[in-house]
Parts: sequence; C-alpha cells; structure tokens
Amino acid sequence: MAGAWLACSRWRVLAWAYAVNLLLAVVAGIPAALSVSEILDHSFEARRLVKGFDLGAFVALLMHPEVSLGGPAAGSLLVSLVYLAFMLFLTGGMLHDFRQEQRLSIGEFCAACGAFFWRFARLFLFLLIVLVPLGILYGLLADGAGKLAANSPQEKLGFWLALGCTALALLLFVAIRLWFDVAQVRAVAEDERKIRCALRRSFRQTFPNFLPLLWFFLVTGVVACLGSAAAVWLWVKYIRPEDLAFSILLGQVIVLLWIATRLWLRACETLWYQRRFPPPVVFAEPPSAPPVTLEMPSAEVSPPSGPPEGS
Amino acid sequence: MPAPRPPQATNASPDAPLSRRVVAYEIDARLDAQRKTIDAVQILTYRNLTGKALSEFPFHLYLNAFQPESTFFRESRREGGPRKWEEKHRGSIEVKSFEAVGQGDLTSKIEFIQPDDGNPQDRTVFRVRLPRPVPPGASVQFRIVFHAKLPETVARTGYKRDFFFVAQWFPKVGVWWRGEWNCHQFYPTTEFFADFGTYDVKLTLPQNLVVGTTGDELASVANPDGTKTISFRAEDVHDFAWTAYANYRIVEDSWKGSAATVKIRLFMQPEHMNQANRYMRSLKGTLEHFDRWYGPYPYNRITVVDPAHGSGSGGMEYPTLITAGTTWWMPAGFLAPELVVEHEFGHQYWYGIVATNEFEDAWLDEGINSYTETKIMDSLFGAERSALHLWGLTLADSSLQRLTYLANPASDPMVRSAYQFMSGDAYGGVTYGKTATALRTLEGLIGEETLRRALRTYFLRYRFSHPTEEDFLKTIEEVSGQNLRWFFDQAVYGTHVLDYAVQSIHSSRVDWFEKKPPKEKKGETLYRTHVLVRRLGDFVCPVEVEIKFDNGETLREQWDGKDRWVRYTYEKKAKIVSATVDPGRKVWLDRDFFNNSKTDKANAAATRKLANIWRFLTQMLENLLAWLA
Repeated sequence: MAGAWLACSRWRVLAWAYAVNLLLAVVAGIPAALSVSEILDHSFEARRLVKGFDLGAFVALLMHPEVSLGGPAAGSLLVSLVYLAFMLFLTGGMLHDFRQEQRLSIGEFCAACGAFFWRFARLFLFLLIVLVPLGILYGLLADGAGKLAANSPQEKLGFWLALGCTALALLLFVAIRLWFDVAQVRAVAEDERKIRCALRRSFRQTFPNFLPLLWFFLVTGVVACLGSAAAVWLWVKYIRPEDLAFSILLGQVIVLLWIATRLWLRACETLWYQRRFPPPVVFAEPPSAPPVTLEMPSAEVSPPSGPPEGS
Repeated sequence: MPAPRPPQATNASPDAPLSRRVVAYEIDARLDAQRKTIDAVQILTYRNLTGKALSEFPFHLYLNAFQPESTFFRESRREGGPRKWEEKHRGSIEVKSFEAVGQGDLTSKIEFIQPDDGNPQDRTVFRVRLPRPVPPGASVQFRIVFHAKLPETVARTGYKRDFFFVAQWFPKVGVWWRGEWNCHQFYPTTEFFADFGTYDVKLTLPQNLVVGTTGDELASVANPDGTKTISFRAEDVHDFAWTAYANYRIVEDSWKGSAATVKIRLFMQPEHMNQANRYMRSLKGTLEHFDRWYGPYPYNRITVVDPAHGSGSGGMEYPTLITAGTTWWMPAGFLAPELVVEHEFGHQYWYGIVATNEFEDAWLDEGINSYTETKIMDSLFGAERSALHLWGLTLADSSLQRLTYLANPASDPMVRSAYQFMSGDAYGGVTYGKTATALRTLEGLIGEETLRRALRTYFLRYRFSHPTEEDFLKTIEEVSGQNLRWFFDQAVYGTHVLDYAVQSIHSSRVDWFEKKPPKEKKGETLYRTHVLVRRLGDFVCPVEVEIKFDNGETLREQWDGKDRWVRYTYEKKAKIVSATVDPGRKVWLDRDFFNNSKTDKANAAATRKLANIWRFLTQMLENLLAWLA
C-alpha cells in the first residue's frame, strides 16, 4: 500500500508515461488510417465493420491491393522502441524521485533522468544478453513439450504442457526482471556507476529476498490482469459495436492500468530497498578540544584533586 | 456408346440394387496393430458393362504414395511440404499375388505405370494385361493377396498412436469412363474415383478395438488368439473405409428421412463427448435440408468419426462414413465442428451418390458441396454468422468461401484437373471457393429456387452414376430455361475476374456559369449529376446500378457490362447521395465489394474504429516492450 501511495503521489510520472505512450500510438496509427480511409469512407461496405464486426469484410479489406499494412506495422514497432528508450530515460528520474521525501522539481527530475540514462542503457544491454539463453531454453522446452503432447493420447496434455512451459519461462523472466529492477534501484540509491558490480551485488540482494519481491510483482500483476479482464467483460457485455467513444475509453483504461501497475511495482521495490538496505548510520565526531596545558606546580603546590581536563 | 441410365433409386424394394454394381469386393483382412500392417486376400469380381472387350485392367495402390520419391511427396515438397523424411510416414501396399480366376497367376505381369507425370518412382498405379480379354457383359474375378503397411498419417489414412483410420487400403480397379480407362496417379490435391458395387469385408483385429466402417456389421466372432473377426457388408457404394480405436465412445441416434430411417452413429473421442450434441445437431439439420432440397438419402446409416488429435484423418468423406474434427476447447460461437459435419455429409450426395471424377472434375463435388454448405449453414445458423459469432465478431460461411476464392481469383479455371492446378492453394481457392461463389452468383442470376430445382434435378438424374461437367451445366440450363453459356464460358471454363466499380459521382449546378447565380436551395436548384461506373475486370456480367438522390428518389439502371464503362447523367432538382453497383449483392464473384458503392458524403466511422483498434494494439505493444526498460 505504501508503494501504491508513493506511486500516486508521483502521478506526474504516470501522466508523462501515459501521454508519451498515447502520442506515439496516435502517430503510428496515422499511416494505417490513411491506408484504409480511401477505401472505406465513401463505401457502404464499410458499414459491415461499424455495426458489429464482419470478419469477412475485414479480411477482404486486408486483401485489398490498395491496402498495405507492412509500413504501418513497422511504424508501430518503431514507436514501441522509441517508447522503450523513453521509459529507460524516465526510470532514472522516477526512481530518484521515489527516494525523496518531497517531489523533485522538473529540472531535478530531468537531471536525474539524464544522469542515470546511460547506466540504464548498459543495464538494458546486459538484460538482452541474459534473456537470450532464456529464449533458447523456452524454445527447447516448447519443442519437447510439443513432441510429448503429439505422442500422448491425452489431447489436453499439449495445452497443460504449453501452459507449464510458458509459466516457467515467465517465472524465469520475472526473476531476471526483478534482479535488474533491483540493480536499477541500487544504481540510483548508491549512485553506482559500475554496472557489472551493480549487477553482481543486486544479484546477491535479490535472490535471498526473492519471495517478497515476487509478492510485489504478483500483487501488481493480478491487479492489472483483473482490471483488464473487467474492462474487456464490460466491453463485450455492454458496449455496442458502434459506440466508439466507450470503446476508446475502456481501451485507455487498460493501457493506463498497465502503466500504473508497473510504476507501482517500481515504487514498492524502491521502498523495499530503502528499508532492507538502509544507508549506513554515520555518528557525528565530537568537537576537537584545544590541547590541555598543565602548569607545573611549585613544591608547595598540592596536586589537583580531580581527573585532568580533557580525559 | 452412351452409358445406360441408372435405375431409379428407391427404397421401396430393399433388394433392388440402387446402382449398376460394376464391382464386387470381398476382402478378408487382418490388422497387426503392433506392426501397423494389414494382410489380406481380396476377391474382386468385375462386370464388364463397357460394351467393349477388356484385356487390361489398371488398379490404384494409393498407399504407395507415402514414399519419399512418389509423385505425392514430390509435389508436396514443391508446395513447401515436409523438409525432413521420417520413416514412420512410409506407407506401402504390395501385391503378393495376382490371379485372374480361370486365366492363371499374373503376378509377374504386374506393370507399374505413370499415366500422368511419367515419374518412374511412383507406384500408385499398376496394370495387368489378361491373356484373354473379358467380353462385354461378362465378368472376371481377380484374386489378389496383398500386404499393406500403414503410415503414421500424413494425409487421411494410417495410424496415430493406437488410433487407426484406414482408407484407400486395398488394390482398387480403375473406372471405364468416356470410352477408356480412367486411373490416375495419386497427388496431394487429388481424391478418388471408383465404380459402384458391393463390399463384403471381414476384419480381424484385436478384441479391444472399437470398429466403425462404411458398411453394416453382420457378425462378430471372438477368436482364441485375442482377436475378433467382424463381417461387414456395404451395397451401392464405391469405397470402403474403416476406423479402429479402443477408446471410442459411441453415441447413437436416428433420423427419419423421406426414403429411410437413418441410423446415426457418432464415434467420439472421450474428451470430446461434450460436443457430441454439436455434431448431432448439425448432422440432423443437414440430413433434413438435403432430403427436402435435393433428394432422399438412400442409405440406412451414417457414421461420423471424431478422430484422435493429431491424426490428420479429420474432415473427409467416404460412403456412409465421414470424419469430422474438433478440439476440447472449441467455443460454441466457432462453428468449425458443425461446418465440417455439414460439409462431409454433403459429400454423401456430391461424390458418394453423384459420383463425379474427383481427379478431373473436383469442382463438381467440392465446389457444389461448398455451395450447398453455405446454403445449409446459413439456414441452420443465420446468414451473417454461419461460420463464426464470437466476442462481437461474425463471419458468414459464404464470405469464407468467397475469401478463399479472392486469394486466387485468376490462376486456373474450375474445370482444370485437380493435379494440374498452379498450386495447392489455387486448387483449394478455385475448386471450393470459386465454385461456391460462382454458384452463388448464378443463384442471383436465375433465382435461388431455380438453382435449387436444378440441383435437385441433377441429383435425381445422375445419382449412382458418373456425370461430367456438361451434364451438370446442361441440367442448369434445362431447368432455368436460359442459355447460360456466356456465364459458364467465363466462370467455369475461363479465368475471368469480375470487378465492377463506381468510379465517381458528382452533382454540380447547371447554372454554374452565371455571374450571380441564385442561392442554392434544396428542391429548387437544378443540378446535373454524373455517375461513372466501370468494369475493371474482364468478366462481363449484366448488373444493376442504383442511384439515390437527396430528395429520396431512387433510380435503378440495368447495364449489360459489355463496355468498359458507362456514364449516367441526370438533370434534377436534387443532388446525388450515392450510387451502388449490384445493390442486391447478387454478384458474389465481384472481387471487390468496397468499390461497388460510392457516397457523396464521407463517413469515417469504420476508419475511426479500425484506427482505434490499431492505436490500442500499438499502445499494448509499447507497454510490452517497456518491460525491458
């Protein structure tokens, strides 16, 4: 809950992430819209896509010689990569902001984003390297599962095996993702510049504490999934096919939910790290006293009765 | 000499044959379930009704197609088929001995031939020359001992784990057709062609196997070695297929038709039992429609086999036995099980009873069947949702057929032999999709009821025989009373593509040149309207053009479509709102319905909806990739 509260208090980060997400998608959608508008806007056949959704008409549209979606698809992929880069940039400022008692100003926020961007970029490259064996493992598991399923009289076995392989791969991905999340949090908390060191240390920090971190992931993930499922259910049950405004609204709720829960997870990780690995307490040094000068007493002078000053 | 007309099919006298029983097969076969082999003795009695003395006989050995150098596999690989050969996919059938009763052992006279492509490695056809010809009207009996090795199923026949579906498993004599032997090699795109007759089949196989076949079960005897021998008989059919699997669950029902009460048996996989009612409902609905629209179903049984998963045996027809197919997760709105049952049962009529040559005239069974499939699915499940209605998505079966046609609209004519198409996709698109769509268009031209009557006449006239494409086309012309050659020459014999488009519509003031024209006023200002309609394809077809004005007036023009374009000009105190070619959507062959209409005002609702979907998907892709950040 503390993580949720923290993420909510930094709502500007969510707003920026969502706004850039939406803007990039709008830009990516323009070529696709232009590609089909020439054909649809003055044709009665287009009604089959508005009232309900006639899959036959849609596929016929895709097969139309004047419709080419290869370019728009590449555009969507490109903007997704741009968004990825943006989120890499945003994450440094966001994690730094989460650590502060008060919200950072825009200037401080951007400065933090810039300060940590290249470190996070290097972490991203390491992540890709680590994911390659995971991908290979998944491929091998899926292949083996497929063979087992094909040779089994139980038809559902194939489904369960596929589900199991996917769940295992997902769990491994989550574990790796949490490791790198902690590496990012650590890089910000300790101002760590050596990324390989950060990774090694965060590995040692993450896996002994895997369960609480996994718990954060599960809670935020379940909220995202349940919220999306509810939105889809509403859409199927109550929204008429021609009600574009409601469809857009529900779609944006789903998008926002996924961004928000990711930020919520990052906030939880930051708070956890602060509590689990607090910065060392530094005791203040006593003020330094001037050297004591003892006057040598005369023979008749009796020695002092108490301890000498300065002890 | 034209073949004599077949006897009228009737069930009034159960002993009267329904067909000219050219062949009588007696097969005594033993299945080795471990080795996946069949050893059998076959007695084939062939009646020479050709009117000519016959001295040579060709036979199909379809199982030999499942060898790496066969024509079947060569062509499969050309189409992107298997990259790696696996020995379990090898199938074969070996004739151990071949005797013509009264003429001696002719095993050494077996000669493999390749009448289509000359591939010497292909052994799917052999012929034997007899020392003495068989006179016209006489019979000859062949005694054939064969050994078959079933493949792990590649196409329709074989085994998968301990599930068997066995088809095209015995030496099958060719058909004397159009004055000569017709016995083609086996290709990935071809099916089968055989004469009507009787089948008396004994199967010896493990006792635990549940067996379904083309015929009626006559007797079952348990043997001391753990096997059982079951006897079957099928009459007036041209093939015999069977299935065996220990875990079948059988669901039985019956349906009363106009000719007979039909015993229905579903052989279900245990995990699909909850879908048995889907199969049953579709089957009964199909039986009822065929009986009412096209003619009586003459047999007393129909068996539906729900094949084991991954078996590759689904979606196929054999006389009185069909294979369907579903999955455990099949949602109710996805009508695949219903569609496949309808389609495969439909083949009982178009192929099983009207036994056209599937090698040379595949469109006459697949295409006609695809058309009747769309009609019956529409009738049973609703015209706009007869293939799919799920989560707001709908798909009509007729649209599905049209889409397969649109994927290959111009590569091959419908009349091309199945093994000569440009590709497997072209074969599917033209034979199924284009034929169904062409018949749908024909329906629009001559009327739905007329076409239905024509199909009924065709069925009743040609049942239990082997009609040709001209028999079919002439029947349509006869029943409709119209000369439809112009249509057939383009749609059936040609590769013409049909595409009409409203190119432009425009209304402008007649007094446009006036220096100070009066203000535009609806109902008072005079406009000159032009509508330009074009024929973009090379298929010429008369069409209707509907023009609507903003005063509510609607005009209908008839265009013969012969020229490349036509312009309609009007002067009215109204502006044009829209123009539509084929407003009744009768010309289904039109390759682009989007350009069939043009409206004056833009309506971007569909564009906005698709843009929204695209945007949402892009946003979710962004979120997905952002998990790497």
